[in-house]
Amino acid sequence: MAVDAATSRPPATELLGARRAGEATLSRVAKSLFFGAALFYLCVPMVAVLIYSFSTRWTANVLPDGYTLEWWQQTLSNPRIQSAFSTSVMLATLTAIIDIAVVVPAAYWSRVRNPHIRPVVELAAAIPFALPYIVIAFGLMQFSGIAAPQYQGTFALLVAGHAAIAFPFVYWAVDGAMAAAGIERLSETAEACGASPFQIVRRIVIPNISPGLVTGGLLSFAASFGEFAMAQIIGRSLDTVPLWSAEMIRSYSDTAGSYNRLAVVTLLTFLLLFALSAVVVYWNRGQTVRLLPGAGAARTGDGR
Amino acid sequence: MATLSRPIVKLGLESEGGSASPTPIARMRGWLAAWLPAIPLLLLVATCLIAPVVVLVVQSFTSMGESGLTLDLWTRVLGQRVNQDAIETSLILAAGCATITLAIGGPLAWLISRMLQGRRAFWLGLLNVAANFGGIGLAFAYMATIGSVGMLTLVIQGLGIPFDAPRQGSMFALVVAYEYANIPLFVLLTIPAMAILRDDWWEAAQTSAATRWIFWRRIGAPILAPFLLAGWLLIFTWTLGVYGIAYGLAGQSGATAVHLITLQIGTALQSDVLLGPGRAAILAMVLLLFAATSLLLYRTMLRRALRWL
Amino acid sequence: MSGVSLVGVSKSYGSVKALDHVSIDVCPGELLALLGPSGCGKTTLLRCVAGLERPDKGNVEIGQRDMTLVPTRDRPIGMVFQSYALFPNLTVRKNISFPLEVRRRPRKEIDERVDELLDLVRLSEQAERYPKQISGGQAQRCALGRALAANPEVLLLDEPLSALDALVRGRLRDEIRRIQQRVGITAIYVTHDQSEAMAIADRVAVMNHGRVEQIARPDEIYDMPATQFAATFVGSRNAVELDVRNGRVAIPGAFDIPAPEGTGSRAIAFFRPEDVRVSGPATSNGREAVGMPARVELKVFLGSTTRLHLVGQNGAGPISLYSDLPSHSAREIDEGALVHVEIDPALVQAFPL
Repeated sequence: MAVDAATSRPPATELLGARRAGEATLSRVAKSLFFGAALFYLCVPMVAVLIYSFSTRWTANVLPDGYTLEWWQQTLSNPRIQSAFSTSVMLATLTAIIDIAVVVPAAYWSRVRNPHIRPVVELAAAIPFALPYIVIAFGLMQFSGIAAPQYQGTFALLVAGHAAIAFPFVYWAVDGAMAAAGIERLSETAEACGASPFQIVRRIVIPNISPGLVTGGLLSFAASFGEFAMAQIIGRSLDTVPLWSAEMIRSYSDTAGSYNRLAVVTLLTFLLLFALSAVVVYWNRGQTVRLLPGAGAARTGDGR
Repeated sequence: MATLSRPIVKLGLESEGGSASPTPIARMRGWLAAWLPAIPLLLLVATCLIAPVVVLVVQSFTSMGESGLTLDLWTRVLGQRVNQDAIETSLILAAGCATITLAIGGPLAWLISRMLQGRRAFWLGLLNVAANFGGIGLAFAYMATIGSVGMLTLVIQGLGIPFDAPRQGSMFALVVAYEYANIPLFVLLTIPAMAILRDDWWEAAQTSAATRWIFWRRIGAPILAPFLLAGWLLIFTWTLGVYGIAYGLAGQSGATAVHLITLQIGTALQSDVLLGPGRAAILAMVLLLFAATSLLLYRTMLRRALRWL
Repeated sequence: MSGVSLVGVSKSYGSVKALDHVSIDVCPGELLALLGPSGCGKTTLLRCVAGLERPDKGNVEIGQRDMTLVPTRDRPIGMVFQSYALFPNLTVRKNISFPLEVRRRPRKEIDERVDELLDLVRLSEQAERYPKQISGGQAQRCALGRALAANPEVLLLDEPLSALDALVRGRLRDEIRRIQQRVGITAIYVTHDQSEAMAIADRVAVMNHGRVEQIARPDEIYDMPATQFAATFVGSRNAVELDVRNGRVAIPGAFDIPAPEGTGSRAIAFFRPEDVRVSGPATSNGREAVGMPARVELKVFLGSTTRLHLVGQNGAGPISLYSDLPSHSAREIDEGALVHVEIDPALVQAFPL
């Protein structure tokens, strides 16, 4: 019996082994192709924009007719583009600062004192998440027309609008960081050591949720920087980067080099996003940045 | 979690000496102590999110020159061919985009979630950039890539293959451009859910003589499906609401472009003097209804997804 | 019944040798415990038997059939994981029937077998619950039922108790043993807890740095550890480093034994606290006290026994050791008292340093 098994088995196992090895290489090839395609899809548009920003004329051949730095010089020295960038940066920075300032106290208080805050804020966070920005923008335009006509079309109203639609990013990041840091426990400990609420927030809470603050701040910055619908509807008199870009893209012809300048601006925006994203990923040590909203419990559940 | 349910609101009342009926002032103080730090956020939400939506709802039920609530605006706007068309096209586009996203993003999220730290960080960074790269910039990037004189178009033509770039206002162009942001977003959202599927389940299945196929059919798919469907719903909702990319791509070809709800809202606000704000309000309400429904379904899905965990 | 044979199994991860030429025979129907600290290779060895790891070298045989290259799903094994690894979307009943359904057994046979197993692991009342609705101990019993469902030839248990709290642990340990004996299945049980290994196993293999240090019956290992590592890892022991004089190792007055082979100038002697004989405060009953004089530094009441921390006073520098006495005989010994200490030389093991 044993001898029989010994003589009949090896070929079978070898065959199995070989087939499994074949499967492994096949799936590895398929995987590489898949990731290659994904990389191609993600990178080619960026490369195209990059080349566009350096080319003289690019309408007939595989490669541009010539290369130039002219568009970069023109764009960077163009006062209108400069002002659009500074407006957008200012807008996005204010949005991030306001969001952090209003979200951190609410999130902290909902964890250490009043748990009833949580469901209210979570429901509120679902609004800009599900409702298109264009609907919120239009509603805000109508509402401000009734409630505060003097603010219509102002920078201040746009900042408020952006803060409202970007706050969920900050909330999820900050709340997640608070959960990860076990802020309730830390806060109780600090209280037992005699720290005042202000001291607790400044010396215990803020340092321990810094990854969440950075992530949330940068995500809300990015959301505001690239936002177009609301800027177009309630900030029509302003000049942000997306509004300028929209004007260029609809200028119908490329004769004045407007597309090349648009390429430069798009690339600059892209580089900015890339830098922000690098910071976020670095701060989170390669962990994921976003979560399916409301799925937070899934991460803490032990799920046996 | 248990520590969260401390009813501190009551604590504020007890601090008044535990008297049976606290004075109104004391009650006010207790309420303030419980809610004060959240008030700035709640104010922001009330003025910039809730009030605008309420105004839109009310406006959709009022009509020019008439007092009282009426469905007049609804019937007039929804009776217009162009609006029906926009709603239908938007729904088809959103469902199509969400399905494609699921088909590609699902496997991608699974594979990335099983990568080693370094490679995963690379992909997450890349996807994060792409997910945030929306709006006009993305529309332009599309044109620079497979527009009529885009790089890829020129390369393909340069290889001697007859190739006409898809029209910028076409469905195809919109899908390709939307997916550029959708797939990364979907992957980033579902990767944490992928971590729920533990490796030792696969090992336990193997020791129970299960093949990879049986494991996915009996264990993997049932556990992940609600998460993936929740992701599908989110992408569906977002795609319905996309404005910037569509404006950049479709807006240019003017009347020949596809009709989308968001584009119609934009047009109504800019050019339609007579029925403008009213039409925009109704279309906004349509989006609101879809968003609310899908949010409800989303919550149900998530509850279902978490019931075993 | 089939045994398991591991022949010269080696496995490395990069430069780390997880298994270094390990050979073990597990007899049919036997429960063998693999005991060792974390990282000693015991889990890797178990996973090689399961086929979840492929050894770099060597063979794995189950019932005399070479299984080295056979994929996990074709091996006649059942496995219990430290984390239970129950499928969360299946009820207890469905978890247990999973291996049978995968093998496409007839419905009727499955139902009968599952009822029998539910009874065996005492989960009949929880059969329709989901894993998250049952306790840790119940979850692990369910996992045991699943592992046994398809009548495997070998049962593999990977630290099945370490996720449970102390009370449940002891009870479930005895239950696993009961079930293993009743089914009469060959089992390999990985643990880092020596008392658990002692209590459950027919034989214990002590592992360290990817090697088997000793493989023997629990009482043999406890009384006669074969290596210094086994001596330190199994049981709580006094370990005293001593000079070797004239080929002998001794604590003057307490014991005196020949030095082990290969000893240089120093040796380490092991003896158990309960083997340290203490004669109460000097000449208490008129008899001449024998042994090494020692002072009681600390007295710790542990319930049925009392542990004395002793410092020997034999002139050659202080020697610290523990002694465990039945509590009733330690009653008269106070802290600070002078006692005399003796150890039966047959119960002392010395190893070269």
